Amino acid sequence: MSNNKKVNIFLLIIAVVLFIFLPRFLSGYMVRVITTIFMYAVIAQGMNIMSGYMGYLPFGNAMFFGIGAYVTAIGMSKGLPFLVVVPLAAITAILFSILLGLPVLRLRGHYFAIATIGMSAAILSVVQNATEITGGAMGTTLPIIDKDPSIVYNYFYLAMFGLMIITTLSLHFIIKSRFGFGIRSIKANEEAAISMGINTTYHKVVAWAISAFFTSIAGALYAYWMSFIAPDEVFDVMIAVNTIVIMLIGGAGSILGPIIGAFIIELFAEVAWSAFLEYHLAALGIIIIIIVFFVPKGVTGTIADFIKRKKIRARKKVSI
Amino acid sequence: MGLQMLMNATLLGGLYALMGIGFSLQWGISGIINLSYGAMVMLGSYISLEFFNFFHIDPFISMIMSGAILFVIGAIIYRGLLQPFLKGGIVFTLILTFAVRLIVENIILKVWSADYRTIRLVYAGSNFQLGDVYIPLTKFLTFITAGILIYLTYLFMMNTKIGKGIQAVALDKEGAQAVGMDVEKMYMINFALGTALAGLTGSLWASIYSFSPHLLGPLVGKVFIIAILGGLGNIWGAAAGGLLLGFAETAGAGFLGSQWQEAIGMVIMVSVLLWRPYGLMGKKFFG
Repeated sequence: MSNNKKVNIFLLIIAVVLFIFLPRFLSGYMVRVITTIFMYAVIAQGMNIMSGYMGYLPFGNAMFFGIGAYVTAIGMSKGLPFLVVVPLAAITAILFSILLGLPVLRLRGHYFAIATIGMSAAILSVVQNATEITGGAMGTTLPIIDKDPSIVYNYFYLAMFGLMIITTLSLHFIIKSRFGFGIRSIKANEEAAISMGINTTYHKVVAWAISAFFTSIAGALYAYWMSFIAPDEVFDVMIAVNTIVIMLIGGAGSILGPIIGAFIIELFAEVAWSAFLEYHLAALGIIIIIIVFFVPKGVTGTIADFIKRKKIRARKKVSI
Repeated sequence: MGLQMLMNATLLGGLYALMGIGFSLQWGISGIINLSYGAMVMLGSYISLEFFNFFHIDPFISMIMSGAILFVIGAIIYRGLLQPFLKGGIVFTLILTFAVRLIVENIILKVWSADYRTIRLVYAGSNFQLGDVYIPLTKFLTFITAGILIYLTYLFMMNTKIGKGIQAVALDKEGAQAVGMDVEKMYMINFALGTALAGLTGSLWASIYSFSPHLLGPLVGKVFIIAILGGLGNIWGAAAGGLLLGFAETAGAGFLGSQWQEAIGMVIMVSVLLWRPYGLMGKKFFG
């Protein structure tokens, strides 16, 4: 391992430890804000593997978040404990991703994105109307944890943090693996990948299943955390939009990008809400445009470019 | 399906047809999925609302203003925002058009609030009868107008220099460039034409239905379906798609209840995508 890598890993471990102890110094509100950041980072990582690394944008990925939330809610309402329901939620989401993915992932990028929006909307409609099972448009409640609130939100802070770490690490190793090469080859040139004998359908479906897996667990945690969920909240298209913006500003196709992006966007949201209450929609729209025009590769992409340019300049000086 | 239901479905379908064509042209020819399309339609409605409230101008006349204003807006959006990012892949065009939608949504909310608005026409209540079937006058006029506008669009595409230029660029971009066509201008005019059609639809919509920013999202959902059903960039395909959606929604509302309306549309779209992704009419073609 090169020295650079050792330093990076050391820094990351310090960051992790810092984050674990952070709640002691922050107000309950800030702890909840940061928990939300972790959650969005997880959802963004789910998008990242599909869009950033594979080049297929699942605009409707929020459907897995909603599925995770609702399976958890329904499961717990039948008396099942949380730790039993979470795997159930994840399995349900994976099944959906495979069933829906097999036919839809054949389509090109355009169609796939739109098809996922359609699916998400269809699932939303079904959940809204199947009132006996899901509580319909009015939402449904989950069991409230009978402990001191500060213990509860610290618990969820750590849970979301743990999920984010696991998701990020998993993604890191998946991307480096042979399977990850397959995924990246699809983004680079799908026809070439097929002609090299890579089973692209297999890669696409599995990638989406992985994406669904992590996104649904985030949804499950969210449901238990909030104790109340409603269809248009967990299947909201704005979740996907926010996730895409997070991915863009953090830097798609990088491992830390979604995490950085989640922090930046949440920071902005906090500021915008108090400063621009009546204009927060337009403000978000303008921010999106600014990001796309000035930082299209996101923070990590721009930093990577900067480092590359420095290296080239250093090399030029030496050769002269 | 009763005759009345059939008539309702057809009248609705005509309006949808006009609405879908603009979106289909933008997607099929420029490859841009315009998530702000619903906002453009609504702008058309609100423009007609203002013309009606301030100058007492009928929406069937003020629609010309809507169309013109939205044409200009479309050209500006295309040139200013979208053209630089066409090579960036779908993420950029999706998120940029969504950003436009957010901005327009905010403007609408500030100026007109989220309340549902209507244009109360003097002749709004009257209808005429064809046998057992009642035909509301405004819906009938809208249907006729939509049909005329669709035909005019078709004539434009087939007979004018610019229209033929747009077709040429759609069929073979490099070939068009090779013969010296201003390809970017063609794309821009096509896009602006799309938003103009949206605006026209909005004005017609306002003559029949109430409108509010709540419709922004669902309208985009509807035009997706229409565009996919008809095959991207295909004018008559989109028209057929619009009629089909009108039928599906009316039948769905009649037999299953109106809450399932949106779900039906989505299910149809996903099914079409799975079985015939190039639309019901097959591969993209013109005419």
